[in-house]
Amino acid sequence: MPQGIRDRAAVAGVGCTPFGERWDDNAPNLLADACFEAFDDAGIQPGDVDAIWVGSLYPFTGLSGGIAVDALKLFGKPATHVENFCASGLDAFRNACYAVAAGICDVALACGVEKILDQGSAGLPTDILGAHPVMGSVSAPAVFALAATRAMEAWGWTREDLAAVAVKNHDNGSDHPKAHFRRQVSVDQVLGAPCIAYPLGRLDACGVSDGAAAVVVTRPEIARDLAHKDDFCWVKSVQLSVHTGWPVYKSDFDYLGFPATRQAARQAYEEAGLTDHRDQIGLAEVHDCFTITELLNIGDLDLCDQADAAAFVREGLANVDGETPVNASGGLKSFGHPIGATGCRMIYEVTRQLQERADGRQVKDASFGLAHNLGGQGSAVAVAILGANDTGPTV
Amino acid sequence: MEYVPGIPILKPSLDADNRPFWEAVRRHEFVLQKCGSCDRYFQPPRPMCPECRSMDTMEWVPSAGRGQVYSFVNFTTDRMAYPAMKIPYSVVLVELEEGVRMISNMLDLEPDDVQIGMPVEVAFDDLDEDLTLFKFKKLEG
Ligand SMILES: [Zn+2]
Repeated sequence: MPQGIRDRAAVAGVGCTPFGERWDDNAPNLLADACFEAFDDAGIQPGDVDAIWVGSLYPFTGLSGGIAVDALKLFGKPATHVENFCASGLDAFRNACYAVAAGICDVALACGVEKILDQGSAGLPTDILGAHPVMGSVSAPAVFALAATRAMEAWGWTREDLAAVAVKNHDNGSDHPKAHFRRQVSVDQVLGAPCIAYPLGRLDACGVSDGAAAVVVTRPEIARDLAHKDDFCWVKSVQLSVHTGWPVYKSDFDYLGFPATRQAARQAYEEAGLTDHRDQIGLAEVHDCFTITELLNIGDLDLCDQADAAAFVREGLANVDGETPVNASGGLKSFGHPIGATGCRMIYEVTRQLQERADGRQVKDASFGLAHNLGGQGSAVAVAILGANDTGPTV
Repeated sequence: MEYVPGIPILKPSLDADNRPFWEAVRRHEFVLQKCGSCDRYFQPPRPMCPECRSMDTMEWVPSAGRGQVYSFVNFTTDRMAYPAMKIPYSVVLVELEEGVRMISNMLDLEPDDVQIGMPVEVAFDDLDEDLTLFKFKKLEG
């Protein structure tokens, strides 16, 4: 393996807008709010930023780095638009980390924004051909429903097991001041919600939200002179794995999880030097676009054996006070999912948890936190691991 | 499954790769693309074998269109459902005996009765004078 990124970049500051229906704001305002919060958190001025990577997905391409440069009035700075399905945000963070680790940038800004609800569609906007049932394209609920049907057959998981994910994540998110859906739900409510693609009901799906998030990445020696000199987080690893965009046609694809997650996770644990990741990962923010996805992610990330993921959640091991808290923020399910912003929102949450200043529910004694951002039909997956300040190399 | 009257049904978008498949469906024949060099079957149609990278070895061969339901989704409300189709309906992912997978709908079967592993066979649905789609039927016995 190449040298890797471990301890060569640091998270110096983070920012995140409230997620939700933001009819009162436009995308540049949301992005500016998140980035200025991150600048203030890091104790830097906007002009200190050497380069910008910005994740955003809608309205599907035709965008440039200008969406960040215009919003932040940082004309002339190098800025790149990152688009990698729903993993765009964490891929933006990966690029910023690379620039810093390479020594090319002192300060790099990773950010993401989505202003999606204006489009007025239910679920993710899709062209009508994309929804045609005999043309070989599948909607997001349908592809994850295909996975749910397989998991229920293979491992005996039930709709109640899926509902347990929604109950946990809404419970966590109900305490987070920036979450989109700040209310608890019961198993009966989840099971009784309208079925959008059997076996998935409306409350098995995450919300689509407006929002933005931002992360200031810098070299550790610079972070030691900034606002979080004593509690900045170390970037232990950041990995991306991209598989086919059309797994539905792959006759060796079993739908029982996603190869891109397994590969990115395996590489991330190795890059981070974690030898016993099940014990060492103190919290995980995973891509729960649907309840079934969280269960598959937990297995793919090897937080437990794959078939045991439903029991892992059902028995409380993924709760905030459990063995490995999963989505203490509320996850996509309750916190919301502004597509291009979600990966940076995960870094925001993991950072603040490791600094013991979570805005919602604080996990206990976490040294390492994991962010997992999944795009497409499990096609593009980014995994990042951060370490608390005391996990860094001693000077 | 049934269609909603008055809503046009989208037709397959024909190109040089998939035209032989849809022309066969029109004749109520089911064909699959196979590489004459490595003997593997592929779906969707393409000009080059993705396994052995041979060009000009992909040929169309008849298939019985038999296989099993690998997974399925049932649409029971109009949210996310295709507007031209009456709910409830099933979308099935079928693994054919040749090892390739195809997506379509079940004919003459209630969504509640669809099961993983159910043996199925291709059937043809003539929708109008210039549109025939392939569907799957439960194979009895
Ligand atoms: Zn071949």
